[in-house]
Amino acid sequence: MKTKNSIRYSLLVVLFAATFGCSKRLQEEPISFVAPDKFYNSPQQVESAYAASMNFLWDYWSGYSYGYGSFINDDQYYGGDLNISSSNGSDLWSAHYSAILNINTALHAVKNGNVKNATQEDLDLLIGQARFLRAYNYFMLVRMFGGVPLITDETPDPIANPLPRASVAEVYDLIVSDFTDAAAKLPSSWSDAPGKPTKGAAKGLLAKAYLTMATAPLNATENYAKAAATALEVIQSGDYSLVTNISDVFNLDNKYGPEMMWSFNSSYDDVATDPQIWAPENMDGWGDASVEPAFEQQFPEQPRKNAYLITELNGVHYTDWDVQHTPYIRKFLNISKDDFDSYSSTINFPIIRYADVLLIYAEAANMANGGPTQEAVDAVNQVIDRANGYVVNPAEPLLTTALSKEAFDDAVLEERNLELCFEFDRWFDLVRKRILDVKNPEWTANFSDDDYLFPIPETDLRLNKLLTQNPGYPTP
Amino acid sequence: MQKSDLTGAISSIKGGDLTQLSTQRVDQALQGRAAGVFVLNTDGAPGGNTTIRVRGMNSINGGNNALIVIDGLQGGNLNSLNPNDIESIEILKDASATAIYGSQGANGVILITTKNGKKGKPVIDYNFSIGAQKIRHKLDVMGAADYARTVNAYRETQNLSGPPVLVFTDAQIQEFEKNGGTDWQDEIYRTGTIQNHQLSVGGGSDNTKYMISGGYLDQKGILINSGYKRFSLRANLTSTISKHVSFGLNWAGSKEEGNSPFFGSNAVSFLGQAVNGAPRWDPTTPVYDSAGNYSVHPGGYGAYDVWNPVAGAKEPDIQNSTIRNTINTFLEFKIIEGLTLRVTGGAIIRNLNNKSYYNSKTWEGKPAQGRVGYGTVDENISSRYQNSNILTYTKQIGKLHNITIMGVAEQQYEKFKGSSLVAKKFTVDQTGIFDLGGASEVVNSSSANERTIISYLGRVNYAFADKYLLTASFRADGSSVFGQNNKWGYFPAASVAWRVSEESFMESIPLISDLKLRGSWGTTGNQAINPYQTLAKMASGYNYPYNGNATTDLGFYIQSAANPSLKWESTTQTDVGIDIGFFKNRLQITADYYKKKTKDLLLSRELPGFTGLSSIIDNVGSVENHGLELAISGDPLVGKIRWNTGFNISWNRNKVLNLGDYEKIGYRTTLGGYSVNNPFMYLVVGQPFGQMYGFGNEGTWNTKEASQAAAYGQLPGDLKFTDYNNDGVIDVEDLKVIGNAFPDFIFGWTNRVSYRSFELTFLIQGSQGNDVFNQARIRLENPYEAVSTKILNRWTQDNQNTDVPAFIDQQTRQNANLVSKIKVDQRQSRWVEDASYVRLKNITLAYDLPASLIRRIGLSKLRAYITGANLITITKYTGYDPEVSAFNDNDAQIGVDFSNYPTAKTVTVGISLSF
Repeated sequence: MKTKNSIRYSLLVVLFAATFGCSKRLQEEPISFVAPDKFYNSPQQVESAYAASMNFLWDYWSGYSYGYGSFINDDQYYGGDLNISSSNGSDLWSAHYSAILNINTALHAVKNGNVKNATQEDLDLLIGQARFLRAYNYFMLVRMFGGVPLITDETPDPIANPLPRASVAEVYDLIVSDFTDAAAKLPSSWSDAPGKPTKGAAKGLLAKAYLTMATAPLNATENYAKAAATALEVIQSGDYSLVTNISDVFNLDNKYGPEMMWSFNSSYDDVATDPQIWAPENMDGWGDASVEPAFEQQFPEQPRKNAYLITELNGVHYTDWDVQHTPYIRKFLNISKDDFDSYSSTINFPIIRYADVLLIYAEAANMANGGPTQEAVDAVNQVIDRANGYVVNPAEPLLTTALSKEAFDDAVLEERNLELCFEFDRWFDLVRKRILDVKNPEWTANFSDDDYLFPIPETDLRLNKLLTQNPGYPTP
Repeated sequence: MQKSDLTGAISSIKGGDLTQLSTQRVDQALQGRAAGVFVLNTDGAPGGNTTIRVRGMNSINGGNNALIVIDGLQGGNLNSLNPNDIESIEILKDASATAIYGSQGANGVILITTKNGKKGKPVIDYNFSIGAQKIRHKLDVMGAADYARTVNAYRETQNLSGPPVLVFTDAQIQEFEKNGGTDWQDEIYRTGTIQNHQLSVGGGSDNTKYMISGGYLDQKGILINSGYKRFSLRANLTSTISKHVSFGLNWAGSKEEGNSPFFGSNAVSFLGQAVNGAPRWDPTTPVYDSAGNYSVHPGGYGAYDVWNPVAGAKEPDIQNSTIRNTINTFLEFKIIEGLTLRVTGGAIIRNLNNKSYYNSKTWEGKPAQGRVGYGTVDENISSRYQNSNILTYTKQIGKLHNITIMGVAEQQYEKFKGSSLVAKKFTVDQTGIFDLGGASEVVNSSSANERTIISYLGRVNYAFADKYLLTASFRADGSSVFGQNNKWGYFPAASVAWRVSEESFMESIPLISDLKLRGSWGTTGNQAINPYQTLAKMASGYNYPYNGNATTDLGFYIQSAANPSLKWESTTQTDVGIDIGFFKNRLQITADYYKKKTKDLLLSRELPGFTGLSSIIDNVGSVENHGLELAISGDPLVGKIRWNTGFNISWNRNKVLNLGDYEKIGYRTTLGGYSVNNPFMYLVVGQPFGQMYGFGNEGTWNTKEASQAAAYGQLPGDLKFTDYNNDGVIDVEDLKVIGNAFPDFIFGWTNRVSYRSFELTFLIQGSQGNDVFNQARIRLENPYEAVSTKILNRWTQDNQNTDVPAFIDQQTRQNANLVSKIKVDQRQSRWVEDASYVRLKNITLAYDLPASLIRRIGLSKLRAYITGANLITITKYTGYDPEVSAFNDNDAQIGVDFSNYPTAKTVTVGISLSF
């Protein structure tokens, strides 16, 4: 009996010992994903982070793909009464910062040497792209919100180390330094990737940044010369040119050049938002984004008008439609009927294009020189001439050097209004020239200087006490 | 672990009560049979899902399903279990009973014991039943003539740009009066047959007992082209090997095949879905057009964008298959007198293989860019292994003290591996999903995860003089999913009971044959956290055409930051109960009052936007539940006519106490297109689950109120809304609670009446006070679609006392020149209906042939029966069924009716024989 017992007891002990290992088994080792500190091991992985960062800004219904609502208080989009809500632009704030988080983490990994099997050239290209993307994100943020928290490396713990808002000047310093470095590192073109950022795009956006720094709120006018010089480099590089026929500018064939320098991209397996948002209801659309009639009324009669705007359907002017009496935007409907009906729009949305660079050059050279130079006049006239279909048009005559500095500046600004309409540009022009009330005369009762900035999102203010709200908006 | 706790709150159901069911589903069978157990048949599809809640909802994001334990093996599934295999079910409700399941017990435990053979010669049981199912209740929609007239009436109101052109001529309407039109609900619903075969053999000797059973269930659903089949096989064996060692082995295998379409939050789109489309479709159009193809809805009126419902039901090819293998073994050693060691090992392995293909004749697969089809493939294996080692020591010390000590060391391991894909744009329609090479667009995904749980438990049961009972337990659970800093959780519990009826002073009250007072307290947990949720993660899927080429580029992004402090949700529950028996237990009453608080609920904690992440999961929420359960059972008649009856009723009240950073959290319950785009169901601090927030309707404006209506920019005949804050505008400030999805109380009443060889059993069950948001009505009563018969009662000058708004023509409205102050959407109280119901859930009449007769043919029992399910339902709800919920990802979303598979009523006849 005793032996039987002792056998039984030892059996017990063995059983227990065998089946119960140490609690190392409670450590998780994920099988289907990696942690960020084990990622970014190859150029493809780094670039996948860049792709994801763009996806935050341009995805089927989010970010800028359905983003006109945040800019509706300009004088181009229909709607908006200069009563800017306290959540205006908060989705774009989140989108940009999500992009910045992923860009910074990737950049940190590249600088830290995590990328294996890459030459210094490969690494420079990766760094160039990262700095380009980061600068673009901050450029949008600073223009919308003013000074913002500036994060250039790992994001600190928001509870232990809350971040203050940097000044506008500090943000622009980072933007300039990033775009300059990117311009140095990026190639003029990529052999198999027409959608990636290029040297020209970096310079174009850098010129735009300089131009914005020269105007409100910084008013650092020494930057006019830098803007003109940088824009001139792009013009003289010969890498870009205007598309000849105004109605072809936004064709799908021209998505990646010669005029488009960098855009939000779409493809058939990653389509843009349903094209129905641009088309009015009598064109089988939903009529989401429409045009301020006053904008259409002052638009000069020229081929460009019909290329960019929808003002009539089957001979019926929009004022006589039985749906909403406003014009609509034709720019983003350059797709086939088949594509339209199957909700498959593959349009790109330009972020910087050659026409913009020409106009930047014209404005900057004029201001730097105290009056229009011949080169400035030639630059703007290329855009106007194309808009007129290369004929003389009294509705919009070409400019000359006879104009004063102020008159030329107004004319270039107006040309930007007509050429770059609905490309997320007008709001920023109104802000930097401080003419929001002038251009929205029917809403001056609601206007105040506070309207030149979007409100900092309420969540950020609530969770980070160091952030201050922009004037005129509520603090939670 | 299998020994029930005498001092806890437990409900028991005998297996015999579940065998004569037409539905053959254990989860549905539980409904109405146990106090405190709320069963919601969220959809009526064959093989569909139920939601089971024991004593209310504890968790917001962590899951509220009760733990299912079958023969000691945790993690079982009720759908695949053959009800004929069940010996008994116990539902553990309070802390002391569930504490032995530690971090998995907070939502209650359903303990199932399967049958085993009995000593003696082998007994063979065979049961066959066949039945028919029909849709229980159709929606009330107009016939073709009324519909045509209504379409014309609406068209007449569109008179802004000249005289309107009517759609139907008088001649056409006369034709419809004569010949009727298409009743789309009749077209897609049919009488479904359901047949069930069960065969089992059981027997045993002194040492060995066995039971082998097999079953086949074939259910054709009431929706055409839907059905469910289940094959199940089981072998249970126990054997005493020697004086000290016994051994057992249970193996169960099942194969389920279903082909019912997806609904609610899982549907691709409601535009192609038959249940949604049928009541909305134009009754003037036939099913097929003159060319023999499925007709397309005419444009210009009605539900013009909805696909042909018959096509939507018939054409999809859905093949869902699940194979489950459950194996459970034990070895029990009697070491010395009173000390036993039981070592168990079990595994549950589930293979799921679901395929669906929507061909060119469906909405999902309609031609696009010259290609057709839409298909999905979903394949995964999940396996779960468990080893429990239970050491029990029982000792009677003297005459008065009885003590049992139990120690358990247990480990569990779960692994999941799966991949799924969505394929579109096929070149060849006929092969569809079976030739993925023909699809030009395929989006793949795969995932894998695992979980380990190690646990230790100690429990003491002490009884003094069989009168004073005490149980105390303590369990420690370590789980791999808990955060780095909190890997181990500890769960204590204790309960006491006083068997008052054993006291000497009770002997003078012969009326009371049994009286026990119980009280318990304890802490249990909910694992809640998903594997890897505490770690920082890179995720794929944020693709973007970065390179600017024809195909998009893969994007990987930082999905979450690490939270090493994340831990389980814990529930602390106090329960007091009383069990009384009268007349030698001919009448028994059990009542329990419980109060529980769940804290450390997983909720998103907001992060500031500049961190790049919007939120992080943290343990911040808390919820409270308290309630009362009452169960009365007895044998009122025990003579020639015997009647056994049981009634149970439960009240549960829950309240959200803390939502972390938020005052309230909103849940969207829509697939778009119904103007309910903003969150409609809310969790609000201080309020219960299931709150519906919307705009209040107060009928319509009558002509005497024209000036008041004008103040809101409205005309007589328009809807009158509640201006909650009296500011002259109806907007988001006027949102208020318009309903609650959960009932005030639920009840069930079971009865068994027998007279000689006849036996009648029936179960009546019901729910009172639950509301359902009938989202389908939004389109059915929309003036442009106007199919519901309610539209015939719309406001007109002569019919002003109605809450259906008028068709007001555009010219009149323009002439009135009013500025509308109404900024609402469809979150309105007129769509919220009281879905309280009382249902004759089950009724069975059985006849046992006399033993003398059947013995001659070698049978020991021959019973014939007829049974009906859902035969009578008393409810005011106008939708398909008051028990419905389309969006169930979170308990906070329950209560919206949106095109779920309707419930059926079933009549079945069967025979069961034993020999």
